[in-house]
Amino acid sequence: MTADLTQLFELYYESLVRMLYRRTGDRDRAEDLAQETFARAVAAPPNNPRPWLFAVALNLVREDGRRTVRQGRRLELLRTDDVPATGPDVDLERNERSALVHAALATLGERDREALLLKAEGFNYDEIASTLGLSKGAVGTTLARARRRLVEAYRSETRGKNAAS
Amino acid sequence: MPHLDEGTLHALLDGELELDEVKEIQTHLGTCAACGSRLQDVKQFLAEADSLVGALETPAGAPKVRREPAPPPRSPLAPPAGTEPWREPIWDSSPKILLPEDMEENTRRRRWMTVMRWAAMIVLVLGVGQLARSMFTPKHPELQLYEPDVSSSTPTTSPPVVSPQERSTPASAAAKVARPTQAPPSSPAPAPAAPEPKVVAEQPAADTAADELDSTTVASSPEDTASSPTQVAAGAAAGAAAAEADRPDSERSSDTPRASQSADAATRRAAAAALEELDRERIRARANAATASLPPARTDPGPAVQAAPPPPRTLEQRAQVYLRIGLDEAVKQLGHPAHVIEGMTPQFIGLTQGRGVPGADPARPVVRVVYLDTRGRLILLDQQRMQPGQAAPASGSLRWAVGDILLYLHGEPGADVLRNLQPRVR
Repeated sequence: MTADLTQLFELYYESLVRMLYRRTGDRDRAEDLAQETFARAVAAPPNNPRPWLFAVALNLVREDGRRTVRQGRRLELLRTDDVPATGPDVDLERNERSALVHAALATLGERDREALLLKAEGFNYDEIASTLGLSKGAVGTTLARARRRLVEAYRSETRGKNAAS
Repeated sequence: MPHLDEGTLHALLDGELELDEVKEIQTHLGTCAACGSRLQDVKQFLAEADSLVGALETPAGAPKVRREPAPPPRSPLAPPAGTEPWREPIWDSSPKILLPEDMEENTRRRRWMTVMRWAAMIVLVLGVGQLARSMFTPKHPELQLYEPDVSSSTPTTSPPVVSPQERSTPASAAAKVARPTQAPPSSPAPAPAAPEPKVVAEQPAADTAADELDSTTVASSPEDTASSPTQVAAGAAAGAAAAEADRPDSERSSDTPRASQSADAATRRAAAAALEELDRERIRARANAATASLPPARTDPGPAVQAAPPPPRTLEQRAQVYLRIGLDEAVKQLGHPAHVIEGMTPQFIGLTQGRGVPGADPARPVVRVVYLDTRGRLILLDQQRMQPGQAAPASGSLRWAVGDILLYLHGEPGADVLRNLQPRVR
């Protein structure tokens, strides 16, 4: 079981952090949430690991569990003094396109956004359906709506930014 | 057929529809211009949306992703309300359970082992040196012959020495007491002129003998290794005078110093070698104990650590499968039931990492059906669902595609055996 969890960690950790970063726009928080997710996997090893891990991670984003994560992060700040002062905002400013995409993603409904992010991590429709509790038939419609809204919102953001400048 | 909705078109482009559905849609698209136009729109949205999401990579230049879980809150801190309390026993007992191969940890371990090895070497050298000194520290002035200068020694001034044959007759020590006036070692009489140049001439021969003994200390004769220091000392003290008295002067002046020097050096080196071997054994045992907890793959194959053989590998390890899965999970991974080799019974189905399978998407796991042939050789049938747009491999090799599934047959038997099996893959 230890070997399995180690393999899961190696296999899914980066993907999970990437998805969580896309979801939250905060790299530190994404890492904390990913680690909290794996901590829960230690307590209750999943049978079907990938959908399980991503569902738990998305639940953690939504639910009050973020306070636990922040508590852990504060402890870590006390422990190590070399945590960089730059936060996600600095990263966003550094990458204008990323900021616009994040803004566009924020306009999407929760489920649409999550389906889109899971698809970007290589989930097939079955996995998206089991992770989000949808029927497989609804995944195509959800993704269609999410993609269209994201593109439209991004175009709108870009237009607004160009008009402002 | 009614017009195609956007969800169906996305499912089509995502490769999520069954073959019969795809055929039906293709037929419709051939006749319906509106749906064809909508498909072009959907393609554009899909590509643009994927490109936008793909642009959101984890920020570059950020600190490296931590490879271990964050430490849990310590016990003085109460868990926040509304959340599960931390399970201390789990954290306490297995905080490393999620650790992959931690390079830093291994580097630390290796450094520690190097330090230990050096320390052991120093202790060994000092210990052997100390023991050798204590063994050969002269209790009698006659025994001060560890570094005898053969070229300058004369029969009259050379200290009493003993040959191996003489060592076996310690009772002859009485002869020395009985015939004190006949004992030449203490006699100041000048040495015969003839033997002296002979000794000088034979010094290289003595040195060569000593060198040979140097290189073969461990393989010294059993009598030599068996002689204890005390025996040597007693033999040297007791038998020397008698030997000197009994043997002709010519023999005494040339043979005795050389033979005794060789025998003495051999005994000394044999004893040192035996002690060294003992210490080596001890160090080896200690090193084995220290490295027992290390994973076998990471064990430094140094000479002192080689003793423990690696444990036998499991079939999962041989097949590089990190997770065994059932048929239902394989169906989920592939979208279809897994392909199998007809007439063979799989050992199990598992997942392996895509980056280890040539031609597969490295970011996704690969379903691996594991077989053993009658000779116990591994045969692996790898399968992965191809992404839309992913090029199928050229046919004719052991990598081919069936529908949207990439297949790769490989294993321990030769390619000809595998090619014979390939037509049986269903």
